[in-house]
Order: sequence, then C-alpha cells, then structure tokens
Amino acid sequence: MSADLNCEVLIVGSGAGGATTATVLAEAGFDVLIAEEGAWVDQGSVTPFSLAQMDLQYRSGGVTVALGAPSIAYTEGRCAGGGTEVNSGLYRRPPGEVVDRWRSQYQIRDLDPTELDSIADEVEKELSVGLTPGTPSEPSRILRDGAEALGWQNSEIPRWMTYPEGTTGFRGERQSMTRTYLPRAIAAGARLVTGLTIDRLVISNGRATSATARRDGQPITVRFRDVIVCGGAIQTPALLQRSGIRKHIGRSLAVHPTVKLAARFDHEVNVPDDVPVHQVKEFAPALSFGGSASNPGLVALSLSDSWRDFAPAVEAWPSISVYYAAITSEGRGRVQAVPGMRDPIVTYRLTRRDKDLLRSGLARLALLMLAAGAQEVYPSFRGAPIVRGRADLATLQERFAAAKASVMTVHLCSTVPLGEDRTRCGADSYGRVHGYSNVFVNDASLLPDAPGVNPQGSVMALAIRNARHFARTERPRG
Amino acid sequence: MADSPISVLGPRPLPDHTIITGAAGWLGQGLCNLLTDPTSRYYRPTPITGIVRNSEEAALLAGIAGVTTVIGDVTDASAILNVLADADAGPTTDVIHTAGVIHPVRLADFEAINAGGTRNVVEAATKAGVRRMVHVSSNSPFGLNPDRNDTFRHEEPYRPYLGYGISKMRGELAVSDACRAGMLDAVIVRPPWFYGPWQPLRQTTFFKMVGSGRFPLFGGGRQRRSMVYIENLVQGIVRAELSDTEPGRAWWVADAQPYTVAEIVSTVQAARRAEGLASKDGGIRVPQFVAGGAVAADKLLQRFGKYKQEIHVLGEMGATIACDISVTRSELGYDPEIDLLEGMRRSIRWCQARGVDLG
Repeated sequence: MSADLNCEVLIVGSGAGGATTATVLAEAGFDVLIAEEGAWVDQGSVTPFSLAQMDLQYRSGGVTVALGAPSIAYTEGRCAGGGTEVNSGLYRRPPGEVVDRWRSQYQIRDLDPTELDSIADEVEKELSVGLTPGTPSEPSRILRDGAEALGWQNSEIPRWMTYPEGTTGFRGERQSMTRTYLPRAIAAGARLVTGLTIDRLVISNGRATSATARRDGQPITVRFRDVIVCGGAIQTPALLQRSGIRKHIGRSLAVHPTVKLAARFDHEVNVPDDVPVHQVKEFAPALSFGGSASNPGLVALSLSDSWRDFAPAVEAWPSISVYYAAITSEGRGRVQAVPGMRDPIVTYRLTRRDKDLLRSGLARLALLMLAAGAQEVYPSFRGAPIVRGRADLATLQERFAAAKASVMTVHLCSTVPLGEDRTRCGADSYGRVHGYSNVFVNDASLLPDAPGVNPQGSVMALAIRNARHFARTERPRG
Repeated sequence: MADSPISVLGPRPLPDHTIITGAAGWLGQGLCNLLTDPTSRYYRPTPITGIVRNSEEAALLAGIAGVTTVIGDVTDASAILNVLADADAGPTTDVIHTAGVIHPVRLADFEAINAGGTRNVVEAATKAGVRRMVHVSSNSPFGLNPDRNDTFRHEEPYRPYLGYGISKMRGELAVSDACRAGMLDAVIVRPPWFYGPWQPLRQTTFFKMVGSGRFPLFGGGRQRRSMVYIENLVQGIVRAELSDTEPGRAWWVADAQPYTVAEIVSTVQAARRAEGLASKDGGIRVPQFVAGGAVAADKLLQRFGKYKQEIHVLGEMGATIACDISVTRSELGYDPEIDLLEGMRRSIRWCQARGVDLG
C-alpha cells in the first residue's frame, strides 16, 4: 500500500459537516478525499444507545469530560457519519432570529435566513425528516401530557427517520449520513477512507501543503490543494492547534449544559432502544426539556449520584425513564491541544446564572413529571431527595448545587466562530480560517454560539451554504 | 339562594357573611373599605367581621360602617376557633385570610404567624363549615427567577426565599392539604409586592428615596418585578372567592405586566411630578454584586435568627421576581385595570390627603 494519498480537497471528518461538504464538492466535480478516523458501521447492526455502540461509534467509549466546577461530561461520535449515526436524530432548522443575531453580532457576510431555509428544505427531503406516523412512545407521551397538564408549550420534534409502511409504532430507521449524503458523495466520486487519523497539517507561508496521518499504525502523508476540517467542535480546533493555528481557535466553546432526573411511574414505560420525540419549549430558548436514552445501564447511571438512597429503585427500571433539562449557557469553554496527549484538554465554566437555571430547570422538570403522574422522581445530583410531592421540590432546590450534579452535554459548538469580527472569529464568513488561504472549517465549530435547539440542522445548512460558496470561488481542476 | 346578592365578579352569590383576618393590615383595611363602599363594584351589603389583634387595631376600622371587629390572634388556635364558630351569622360564610407578617420583630414570628396562623385558620374554617376560604399567599414561596428574562408560570416548583418564603410555603401547604383531603373549599391568591392606599410607613420611605433620585438601581435596573395595585389585588381576591373553581387552585394576582426596576423608579418620579411633588430623575447606580452581598448578609442574619428589613429589601431589589397572570385572567376573568402610573398617583394622593410628608 502506498504511504501517500493525493487529492484536490481533503475533508477531515464525515459527520453532519463533512458528509454534506463532500457531497456538494464531489457533485461539483472536485476530487474529494474524506478522512474518517472511525469505522463504517451499518445502521441497524448495533443496538442504539447500547454499550456496544458506545464502544464502536463514540470517541473514548463515550466518556469524555470538560473540566470545571462542575465538570461537564460530553460525548462525540467517532465513526463514518459522526454524531448523526448515534444521536436521537431530532432535527430543528436554524431559528431565524438566531441566524439574524449571528449575522449582526459576528459580522457574517451574506448570511441569509431565507437561503438557509431553502437549504433546510433540501436537507429535510434528503434525510426524510418528518414526524412519527404512529403513536409516540410512552416516555414521549409522558413529556407531552405532563406539559399539557401544566399548560406548557410542547411539540414533537421531527427526525431523520423512515418508518415501515402502515406502522402504528414509533420505531423507524435512522436516515443518518451513511444512508444519505455519504453514499451520494461516494457516487459522485468522493473517496472515503475510514480508520485514517489526521495528526497535523503541515503549514508553510500561510498555506497548508500536506497532512501527516496514520492508518493501522502506519504513517501516511496526504497531499491536497485545499483542506476542510470537519472534525466537530472538539477535534477541529485540536487539529488546528496541533498544526500551529491558534488565533481565536478553541477559545469559545459553547454547549447546552444539561441535568437529568429519572422518573418512576405506576406502569411500564421504559423503552431501552429509543428516545422521546417530544420536547417542552415553554421556557425556550433559556430552558428546554426532553427525554434521554434510558436502557437499564443508563437508568442505573442516572440513579448513581445518590446511590445509597436511590439504589432500590433500579429494580423498577421497566417503569423508569430518564429525562433532561438543557439550558442555553452564558458561560464558555476552551479546547486546548496538549503535545503528547491524544485528546485535547477541554474546560468549561458555568456562570452563576447558568447554575441558577440548571437548578430551576431540574425542579420544573420534576414538577412536570409529578403532573404526568410520576410516583417518584430521582434527580441526578449528590444528596438529592426523592421527590414524591410538591413540597419535595423545595428540598430539591435547596439541596441542588451545580457542583454536585452530573452535568453533561451532547451539543458542542462555537470553537472556530465564523464572521468578519476579527476580535473573536476564527474563520471568515464562509469558514476559511483567518490568515490561511487554503484551510477551511465546516462543522459545528463555526456556529457562533449554541443555537438553543438541536444544532445539527444548523450545522448541515451552514455547511452546504459554505461548500457551495467554495465550489463557486475555488473551481475544480477538472 | 334567591335572596343572596349577586356580584358581577363571579358566578357564586355573595356570602351572607364575610370574615377577614388581618383586617387592620394594609390589605385588610383595603378590603374592609372597598367591600363596604356602596359606590364600589366590590360592595357587599352583608355583614363583615374583621379579626384584629387588639383595641388599637380595632380603632383603625372603627369608622367603617358594615365592619364589626373581633379581637383574636391567628396564632391562638382556640381563639380563632371561637371567633369563627361565633361569627357564623348565616348559611354561607367566606373567610379571607390576609393575616401575615412580612417584616417581623422576631424571626420566629414568620413560622408562628404565616404557617401556624394559617393552619389555625384552616382548622377553624373547616370546623365552622365555611363556604370558601381565600388564602392570601405571596411570590415568596417561589423565590427569585433564575434569569432576568424568566417569568414564573401559573404552576411552579416551590423554592422559598428565606424565612418569609418558607413560612408562606408552609401556609400554602396547610391549605392545599386540607383541600386534597376534601375537608375544605379553599383557594390561594399570590400577590407580589403591592402598593397603594392604606400603605404602612415603610412605603413612604420608598416614595421619598425615589423622589430624591437616591433609590438603588442594581446593574442598570434591568431586573423585572411584578407588582400589584391594592385595588387590583382586591379584585383578584373577590374573583377567587366567587369563582366556581376546584378547591385548591392558586393564582398569581398582579398588574398586567412585570415592570423593570428602572421603569418603576421613573414611573414613581413621573407620578410625583404629576401630583405636584418635587422629583429628581434616576437613581443611584449600584453594581449588581452589592445586591448579592445583601442577599448573603440577609441569609447569614436569618440563620442566626435575626431579621433586618433594610438588608432584606436591598437584597431583593437586585433580583427578578416576575409572574405571568394569563391563567388568572382566563380562569377568573381577572382584569387589572389600574397600571403603575395611575396606581402610584392614587397612592400619593392618599398620602397627601392624610397629611403624610412625601418629601
């Protein structure tokens, strides 16, 4: 096997950003090589949200942590298709007011909500985004009915799923990148190389000339004309920093911090292999409620913060489901590549207001569970009370401290914000890294801040917009 | 009952008898005056008994035709039981429970009066077989909003703010427990910071501070506060009393919208000018952390059983306490007609008519 790979455009990563970028460029006639560090895993070959999946398709088995008080656990997909393969597939368009705010606050040239909307139309068709044709799962119904009882706004979130003809249930097939954009890119001539880790870009005079990489322990050099980094909000800045690109890179990590609880009902509710499709948006964008994966292991995990008091409940896991409260955070974090370490050090600092909102969010979610008929609610923080009635909500809020909670996130973004504001943007209005003529970023790192909704719809729309701009201005060699 | 007077404020007829606890308080006086004013739409011709603590308090209500005062302390269970049993003058009696303490002499008064007193009234009302009890609670069982833009919805989890909040929460729980047990028809109204005639002296200080341009504005005064003009509150109470809702319901009773603190200060200044009083613009800009410091000091003092009104109020001024009244509107037909400017003007006129110096 040759130790060198050559291409016109190297795309690092094959998730929501990389796969869409590859499709646009391959179909425009570019010679595209996609470097994917993880493996290709067919949809349906592993159980969703299982340990096997964490092992196969997540970075570090799904256990990665942003340091701080509290530390924030986060997960990253690491497989062909990236996060789209393993997440809940819930899809939200970039909200118009968020796009307008991004454009004005970060000076993003020609960022047009109408253009993003028309791209969103295409994406939704390609991914078969839609609502469940059948009845929602029991954990989803609980969210809906609890919110209705309180008069709180809620809705079913569409997702990238197809369903068997005439189904009355909620189980479908995830239309992730390996089912949609990646096959399209490959059909248009893109080459996807899995198991290929890009270690560093070789930079000379403001240009990247090649990449040093590894596959099966063998060093490889990848040569290209342009490189587009789409490794997600953690790996993208880490790769740029390892390559000596540091200005406004990795300094403004934004996430949706979430806290969880488990709720026990008087009947069987647990669905181990799927997540609820309803979300409660009454307090959005500051606060959103939704359902989490709830297989027995994850139920036990959510009870583990107060294990001494909550342990007996684990026996009742079939009548337990796990839910989250997510906030839009005013805090920010950092990604810092460290020489000699495989993973960057990630830190995140919650503000006082963030912590207040996490407490209030958890209590409001617990109230919703009581309104939905929960018999007992187990909040995920050390020393939490078992909530059986409204008076216990006062105890919950009194004892809560963010530092005692299992705070986690799955939405990571904003480590290379795009825009012309050179005091804080790492890339220009179309994702070209400021100061580097042929180094681009095109993934969640570009979002100027966390959008308050599931972000991958925003990532795809923005990536397609930027890739089309690239195709118009950079021209394939042909 | 064909004989019972009809009210425009709710489907239930007026009661044959109304008992008001805390009748000599700010709200109690407002209720006694408005409910007996033949020109007011809150007028009820049926007898009203005002429960007061002593003869000085009784004197405050002496001039009001239609109000009989009885001396009794809500912290004394048997006294309240006797008052309610004796006062049962007709087939239907409603109790409006306003007695409470917000700035206590001793911290223990919170628990004794706001929680224990409410338990006593609940028990007495149950035994006397009243038609409905209206319990006047507060925003305080729910604490502070977690974010400046957050608004409390109709239903919220408890998060009592210090000693007052805990005692008011326990009062609410006593009421809702009795309703859940099917023993009593009671409802709860939750007014935030109220203002208007019959105000105590501490409000005069507020008018003076604002007028002199020396009211503290934390972080630019962008915190939001719900307030309620006393007559709007009386409307909410009477509508809650006369509605046909399930026992145990609770409603926010506030002005139409929360105000920013900066807006409150500028509106009071405008009201002063409109009523011919001198007024300087603006307030003293104070960094937000000072409010945080006052909250910490308040917590510390209360832990040692001490209560300092100035520190408590200062700490609260840095926070957002905002509530949403849309369910109160839809379930009770509540319509807060008097806004901040009009309410503050009436309040100033009330003070001026009584020769109170507002600086």
